[in-house]
Amino acid sequence: MMRRSKRTARISRRTLLRASGLGLVGTSLSGWLPRLAAQEAHDPKRKRQCILLWMNGGPSQLDTFDPKPDHENGGQFKPIATSVPGLQFSEHLPKLAAQAEHMAVIRSLNTKEGDHGRGTYLMRTGHVPGGAVEYPTVGALVSKELDDQNSDLPAFVSISPYQAFNPAAYGPGFLGPRFAPATVGASQSPVAADGDNYAELKLDDLALPSGVSEDQADRRMRLWNTLEQGFLASRPSQSALAHELVFRRAARLMRSRAAAAFDLEQEPDSVREAYGRGRFGQGCLLARRLIERGVAFVEVSLGAFEPNSVGWDTHQNNFTAVRQLSEQLDAGWSQLMVELNQRGLLESTTILWMGEFGRTPRINEMGGRDHYPNAWSCVLAGGGIQGGAAYGSTTADGMAVADGRTTAPDLLATLCAALGIDPEHENISDIGRPIKIAEGTPVRAVLS
Amino acid sequence: MSSGRFWAWSAHRKLAPFRRLHVLALAGLLASLSGTPAPAADSTAPQHDAAMTRRVDELLAAAGQSGGSTPGPPAADADFVRGVDVDLTAVVPPVAVTEEFLRSEQPDKRTALVDRLLESPAHATHLADVWRDLMLPRMVDPQQTAGIVGVQNWLRRQFVDNRRYDRIVADLLVATGGDESGPALFYTTVGVKPEELGTRTARIFLGIRLDCAQCHDHPFDRWTQEDFWGYAAFFARLQQRNDNAATMRLVDVSSGEVYLPETTTVVAMRYPGGETLDGPVRGTRRQQLAIWMVSRGNPYLGPAAVNLVWSQLFGRGLVEPIDDFGGHNTPSHPEVLDELSRWFVDAGYDLRRLHRVLANTRAYQLSSRHTGDDDPPPELFARMAIKTMTAEQLYDSLSTVGLRPAGEIDNRLADPQRQAFLIKMLTQTRTVTDFELGVPQALTLLNGTDLNALADAAQSKLLAALDAPFLDESQRVRTAFLATLTRPPNDHERSEFVEYLRAQPPAARQAALGDVVWALVNSAEFMLNH
Repeated sequence: MMRRSKRTARISRRTLLRASGLGLVGTSLSGWLPRLAAQEAHDPKRKRQCILLWMNGGPSQLDTFDPKPDHENGGQFKPIATSVPGLQFSEHLPKLAAQAEHMAVIRSLNTKEGDHGRGTYLMRTGHVPGGAVEYPTVGALVSKELDDQNSDLPAFVSISPYQAFNPAAYGPGFLGPRFAPATVGASQSPVAADGDNYAELKLDDLALPSGVSEDQADRRMRLWNTLEQGFLASRPSQSALAHELVFRRAARLMRSRAAAAFDLEQEPDSVREAYGRGRFGQGCLLARRLIERGVAFVEVSLGAFEPNSVGWDTHQNNFTAVRQLSEQLDAGWSQLMVELNQRGLLESTTILWMGEFGRTPRINEMGGRDHYPNAWSCVLAGGGIQGGAAYGSTTADGMAVADGRTTAPDLLATLCAALGIDPEHENISDIGRPIKIAEGTPVRAVLS
Repeated sequence: MSSGRFWAWSAHRKLAPFRRLHVLALAGLLASLSGTPAPAADSTAPQHDAAMTRRVDELLAAAGQSGGSTPGPPAADADFVRGVDVDLTAVVPPVAVTEEFLRSEQPDKRTALVDRLLESPAHATHLADVWRDLMLPRMVDPQQTAGIVGVQNWLRRQFVDNRRYDRIVADLLVATGGDESGPALFYTTVGVKPEELGTRTARIFLGIRLDCAQCHDHPFDRWTQEDFWGYAAFFARLQQRNDNAATMRLVDVSSGEVYLPETTTVVAMRYPGGETLDGPVRGTRRQQLAIWMVSRGNPYLGPAAVNLVWSQLFGRGLVEPIDDFGGHNTPSHPEVLDELSRWFVDAGYDLRRLHRVLANTRAYQLSSRHTGDDDPPPELFARMAIKTMTAEQLYDSLSTVGLRPAGEIDNRLADPQRQAFLIKMLTQTRTVTDFELGVPQALTLLNGTDLNALADAAQSKLLAALDAPFLDESQRVRTAFLATLTRPPNDHERSEFVEYLRAQPPAARQAALGDVVWALVNSAEFMLNH
């Protein structure tokens, strides 16, 4: 703990110095400048940005990226050809199939945790739950490494997270609240569908509380400032300075140009429509806008807010649900890759698609598939990834990994390697033990 | 004025002398464990405590002089009442308490306040919060609320009765009840794994990081792999049972061993720094550990508790980090730790008296105000540390100030609004002198429901009170300051805030009062304990 506290103190001093040097502490509001994508995309040593597409509930691998048309376990969906000869996806993912050259499917995940809460924790932290250490979620780990802190925008944004399966799997763990995500539409429980309008996505608590006008908010901040300055005059401690800095940054973000990143109404209807109107589609559009502005890590969840079910947790009527979810997935994700590519950002952005586990190859009496962590799929795409291939395979019935067994830590190590982060870099945990970002071995075959 | 001088000066001292292992009779001890009375009332205790308080100040002063440091000025009454309330009961004091304290001209009013707070139910709740926080992972798993409440209630019962600390620890080490009937969640959150239980109990109750030797012998400290696994072996014969899907409980079983990693070598039970138990033992392995834990042969229990309580009050331990005792990490004030630990053990491990001794010291009652350019190192305790409130202290203080609960909630730990706040605000390091929150949390404090409810006339008990017709604007401002910052406004603040209220049209007066409250609870002064 001593090491940790010294580090924290040093970091906060550094942050303060840097912040004051940039005029963040003063009255200037010009701390943020939009980045020119082209400028940065060509630096070969540059680390990449990251998007996690999180499939809440555990998506069926057989009905998405590991079709088994020649076996009864394969179910009713037909496979279709993709832009890569020999690689097949489900028929309900046609737009993604057209971009398969950017995508590497890992068909050989073997993770052993078949409970939603435990699986969610494992896949999002790389560790099984239940130990003394509170592990950070992957977004906190990655954004800590990638963030340059020059932006008004948060380094880690989580869109529509459904945290109820395991809140700890969404948190910064021992890294502390500075590395927690800024959330968009976080909710502890599923809500009704979005209807015919575009899903509304807002950064939580960015807007003034209802009934408080901008004018009133300004007056409040003036009163606050009197108190803050008075306290700092007699007690300029690290903690008081940090309080002032963080609150000023938050207040400035509310008014800053940077916050416009969250305003999807700035996008033309044709663009909004192409992503899909739901939370996931609009979330992908928001992800693109945040990546353009240099946000290090964005995650978009699909399947948390579906009516009458928890998304991909298709114990009943698997095919109806997966078909509907696939439409959202196909539109949002494919459009995201198209637009990132148009901007030269796909090469500098690594995308990971996964859920907490896969689903049983055998179809149950209710036309559903149950939890299955033994042999399932995830997808890596974009920057740092050797697209247009499937890595590993499952047996003909889909029941077991045939080759290329990959674990959760391996997957996170692979993601780090694609992003340009050393997975063996160590953070100091809350109990003073150094802990690697990811304990596994990168799957070299999917890295470009 | 670096701290190096202390460290060099004390490098050859032993932390606490090892005493000869004093083996208690098994049967007698276990009988006493089952129903330990509170420490016998001792009419001479107050004098002894006052003498110990003076002794601590003497030792600190002597160390300060040889370190070239002079302590700062004492805390003003308003600062003291706030600090000691938050430190001993985890919430800011109500206005009435503050007013009475500020008015009182009793010379011993600080001592009396300390005594009153230590006797209050809120103090027992606070101690339960502190130990629960050490014992359980911080993240709230909604499915484990019953178990969390079980740990809390169990701890709280111990502290309400002011049971001997050594007996509390011993009872915890042999506990079997889970869910609402006991503290077994402490064991099951780590999957009843011997190595995790060894790690945690050693850190919390002994203040040592045996687990650093889990995989390899410790590079700086004296602990070996055999020490770690020998200690973990006390937890090797423990299982979780869920009978009839009813209450979870722990069962001591007759087999189970720990092995050196990657070998088949069974490691026998061994007390840290003590003897190895090769042969068969009477009773369970956990009972064996509990007996040693409370024996004079265990040199760690007293100093670790003293250091923990010290760190709670002073913002850092005499040994820092508090769970890293050892030859490689010399205490800042070895004599203070040593004498206090002896006193604590002789006083029957009485936590209430320990708190009283420390809260009455001059050192604890120093101001946190910075004077001049002088910035003494925190380990000199020449100035009161500024401590960031924990998320729980912050939320519970907001409740005290006037947040209305969403509904009838029996137990605050099960309050979903509170849980959501904690999940968002929880910090991970236990370094209370840091302010760790970031922009997303600040946005929630500025714009979120909790603090704004306090500023909303329809939801705030404080605003309802401030609306009383017999108060003028100046009195309203004064009351709002007392309720939140535990002090009256200074002249500058009073004139600005009163003018602010007067400048608003009558229809907007409630909203303007809300603005005042909002600014107060969002200030550093409110969120930090100073």
